[in-house]
Amino acid sequence: MYQRERERERERDYREEMARSTGKDAQALFHSLRSAYAATPTTLKIIDLYMGFAVFTALIQVVYMAIVGSFPFNSFLSGVLSCVGTAILAVCLRIQVNKDNKEFKDLPPERAFADFVLCNLVLHLVIMNFLG
Amino acid sequence: MAKLLLYLTLATSLIPLFSVAFSPENPTDRRVLVLVDDFAIKSSHSLYFGSLTSRGFQLEFKLADDPNIGLQRYGQYLYDALVLFCPSVERFGGSIDVASIVDFVDSGHDLIVAADSNASDLIREVATECGVDFDEDPAAMVIDHINYAVSNFDGDHTLIASDDFIKADVILGSKKIEAPVLFQGIGHSLNPANSLVLKVLSASSSAYSANPKSKLSNPPSLTGSAISLVSVVQARNNARILITGSLSMFSNRFFRSGVQKAGSSIKHEKSGNEQFLTEISKWVFHERGHLKAVNVRHHKVGESDEPAIYRINDDLEYSVEIYEWSGTSWEPYVSDDVQVQFYMMSPYVLKTLSTDQKGHYSAEFKVPDVYGVFQFKVEYQRLGYTSLSLSKQIPVRPYRHNEYERFLPAAYPYYGSAFSMMAGFFIFTIVHLYSK
Repeated sequence: MYQRERERERERDYREEMARSTGKDAQALFHSLRSAYAATPTTLKIIDLYMGFAVFTALIQVVYMAIVGSFPFNSFLSGVLSCVGTAILAVCLRIQVNKDNKEFKDLPPERAFADFVLCNLVLHLVIMNFLG
Repeated sequence: MAKLLLYLTLATSLIPLFSVAFSPENPTDRRVLVLVDDFAIKSSHSLYFGSLTSRGFQLEFKLADDPNIGLQRYGQYLYDALVLFCPSVERFGGSIDVASIVDFVDSGHDLIVAADSNASDLIREVATECGVDFDEDPAAMVIDHINYAVSNFDGDHTLIASDDFIKADVILGSKKIEAPVLFQGIGHSLNPANSLVLKVLSASSSAYSANPKSKLSNPPSLTGSAISLVSVVQARNNARILITGSLSMFSNRFFRSGVQKAGSSIKHEKSGNEQFLTEISKWVFHERGHLKAVNVRHHKVGESDEPAIYRINDDLEYSVEIYEWSGTSWEPYVSDDVQVQFYMMSPYVLKTLSTDQKGHYSAEFKVPDVYGVFQFKVEYQRLGYTSLSLSKQIPVRPYRHNEYERFLPAAYPYYGSAFSMMAGFFIFTIVHLYSK
């Protein structure tokens, strides 16, 4: 009888310790991510901000469509795809401009930016056509 | 010599203009061939023939087995209508036979067939071709022990007085026939599946068809109001046929005699035969109930010319003019149940046309939201009137890419997001280029 009580106590202590350590691990992970992110250059942070704005606008449109219905479906697609396309092009620019990226070491950032501008021009032309 | 030939050709070419005959502009028949068993019928039925000639018909009387008779010569029909008052003919003379009579009717001409108690197989065959079956027993007559006509000499109740008329003013005229109609002859039955045959005068429910001289051993096959005394057929090409089992119904004796139905105390001075047969022959010879539809037009509301193609969701107007032949001229036909269909495999739009009482019918409707090749269809079939079957084909196209609705308020968030993305891109490039 006393043996079983002691076993249960030990189990409880063990579980509490695991929970505490997971909590501590998550906090540690979060802290390390924040400090690593603080070390990124400002240029990349600006691109990240731009991308967040695009994704946020896309989410607003999806919520609107869920409420109101998809009547001018072409307009819905056009709006959402403009946000998604902007986000993708921003991601591509970020990859190409990041100095830590070994794959694009020899690519001048001006060339990356020029590609980014041209692709955005094509994207907005298509969006305007499909907007109806 | 040349001048003489010229005048001769001019004169002969003008002859067709002076012949007034059956034509789409003048649908009443004019030249009628009457085939009789013997010329005594000409005088014993003179009142009926007189009523026809007084309305302008040219009657030509021939014996049924005359070897010189023919309905057509060199491919053209010589007569506009045929009256068969020859119940006992065994074989027609000349070039007439059952097939040529059927061809005559198929080409749009009218026919009156009167059988009698001695009707031959040939006349019965003609009637069968027209959709009516006489009683197979050759000695049978229509007998009615309850609705017979009271008379001094007929004891076997084969002379019956019938007033069971069809309710159609266009066939029997607008004036009510007060007196019953005298009938003595054989009865026929109609196939109920046939929609083109109508019973104009039917026997009462106490009538039956049997041999009056012999005792009945089996129940008769034709009984009651299934027996039709006078029937009409309007074929799909609008030819009209009158079939009756009593030639004596047309005779002067029956026209002039009074009639008293057994069991009723009313004695009519004159039977209804003359009025009944005059009115029904007006209908058979197209003096009444003949419609024509002309001037089918359609256009977009607000325009006046007919487009070659419509777009979906267009507003259009369809109009048609319908006239009825009054015997001498075309009068406007007034009715409130003419309908037009906008049809492609099934009617997408069915609208009743409104009339201005002068024969002009029109309707406005919106083209449905389906594209394809449609037809404007007017199918008008009413009892006693010629059937109208008009159809006009018109294609319908979908929207062109610049005809869709734009700037919808429901889509403003999407427009806003697209423009905000463009603005964001512009601001981002400035910030990206000019920040250190």
